[in-house]
Amino acid sequence: MDFDVHYIYAQLPALARGLLVTLEVSGISIVISILAGMAGAAIKTMRVPLLTPLLNGYVEFIRNTPLLAQMFFIYFGLPSIGLSLSLFWSGVLTLSLWASAYQIENIRGGLVTVRAGLHNAALALGMRPWQYMRLIAMPLALRVSQAAILNTSISLLKNSCFLQAVGLAEITYVAMDRIAMDFRTLEMMLVLGVTYLLLVLFMSLFSAWLEHRLHKPFRM
Amino acid sequence: MARSTAGLSVRYASLFLAGMVLVAQSVSAADLPPLPKEIKDKGVLKVGVRCDQPPYGFKDASGNYAGIETEMALQIAEWAFGSRDKAELTCVTAENRIPQLTGKKVDLLYATLGVTPERARVVAFSDPYRWDGSDVVVLKDSPIKHIAELKGKTVIALKGSNQARWFEEKMPDTESMRLNSTADALQALKQKRADGATFDIALLVGIAKNDPGLRRLNEPFLLVDASAGLRKGETQWLAYVNAAQARMKAEGLYRKWAVKWAPEGTVEHYVSGFETKRPVEK
Repeated sequence: MDFDVHYIYAQLPALARGLLVTLEVSGISIVISILAGMAGAAIKTMRVPLLTPLLNGYVEFIRNTPLLAQMFFIYFGLPSIGLSLSLFWSGVLTLSLWASAYQIENIRGGLVTVRAGLHNAALALGMRPWQYMRLIAMPLALRVSQAAILNTSISLLKNSCFLQAVGLAEITYVAMDRIAMDFRTLEMMLVLGVTYLLLVLFMSLFSAWLEHRLHKPFRM
Repeated sequence: MARSTAGLSVRYASLFLAGMVLVAQSVSAADLPPLPKEIKDKGVLKVGVRCDQPPYGFKDASGNYAGIETEMALQIAEWAFGSRDKAELTCVTAENRIPQLTGKKVDLLYATLGVTPERARVVAFSDPYRWDGSDVVVLKDSPIKHIAELKGKTVIALKGSNQARWFEEKMPDTESMRLNSTADALQALKQKRADGATFDIALLVGIAKNDPGLRRLNEPFLLVDASAGLRKGETQWLAYVNAAQARMKAEGLYRKWAVKWAPEGTVEHYVSGFETKRPVEK
């Protein structure tokens, strides 16, 4: 069986719909995970009683279990305790929970680099600890951990392909489904590879631009 | 303990059978054409079988390969290499079975493989050894009575299955959900993530019997022959497999295996699939 370019053309509409689902599920999850990461990192750094050990447990649990197992648990496991989410939102929840654990650690790493002197100065000026965190420490920390945040976001995008196992029609699902139907493995895998590559390249370029932009005040 | 006794009795039974055949047909083994050199040199028979399609191919309670088509694979190993232990079985799914074969991970498929024109483009089929149809199963209290009522509803099919294609072509208004295994599909149906699920009738006969929460629509469609799958161009190997299947039929092995693996009360359904001709679809 030869390589068939026309076959790829014929599948483009279906693949485009899959790509859209991939972008939606990943995009929403990336936003949620960064917000959750900021909140979690702030809580851990400020050592909020009760919440901090809870978050530690959460981070360890997510980092030490396979994503695929988490996904099956959320999609097939949660309904048996009465929490039935749609396929799409199960996917968002899985990816968000997974990525948030990493983002918390990424941003906490950034917060560690913020000098103690700033903290003292902020308190001396009469800021509340939360104000200090929100207005002083977090913006500085985000700048430092921006590369790590992007790394986790790229992983999230690539890991969204796991959702095909529970039947979410994202781009990998569409490609695998066509392979199962028409056995055009090479064509579909090529499209899949190129698509993910372009998406990640785009995200890297965006990150490079952001880094350039954020470091403007520090450049000579 | 019970298992080893059963294994032993199977071994005696097959020995006994082999003896009977020897007496009756004198040189039965000579009836099979020579084994192709590529297969012979490997010393083992690599076969892809299903693990989630009782009673054709599944894992029994202790995790061993079981089922009627699995027996076919073991029988060919016995005829080809003198021992059922020479069969190297691989668990394949509807989705990955053909790539497993074309990628040379296995040399033969006994994997509930229906004969379709799309598949014939990429693999060679043996003579058909049985036929089967498809049907839809819904939750018992579902209002759906006919397949036509599934328009605009969600139907689960296994990835790469005949049924997935049939719904795509014949009922494009149906929302499709494609999953990897029967277990995932039934769980998703029970969690009401879809309105119906479509499988081979053979599978549904067993499921509907064991599960009072499900109801078959009893509207068979897509009657197809099942064949072994081989790579294209391996004509000598194909001839061997065809001859072996003819011998299984002549020796009445299908009935014996159906009795062994099919749930009580469903044996005749399965035997008829192997021993009768496929009816023409309405």
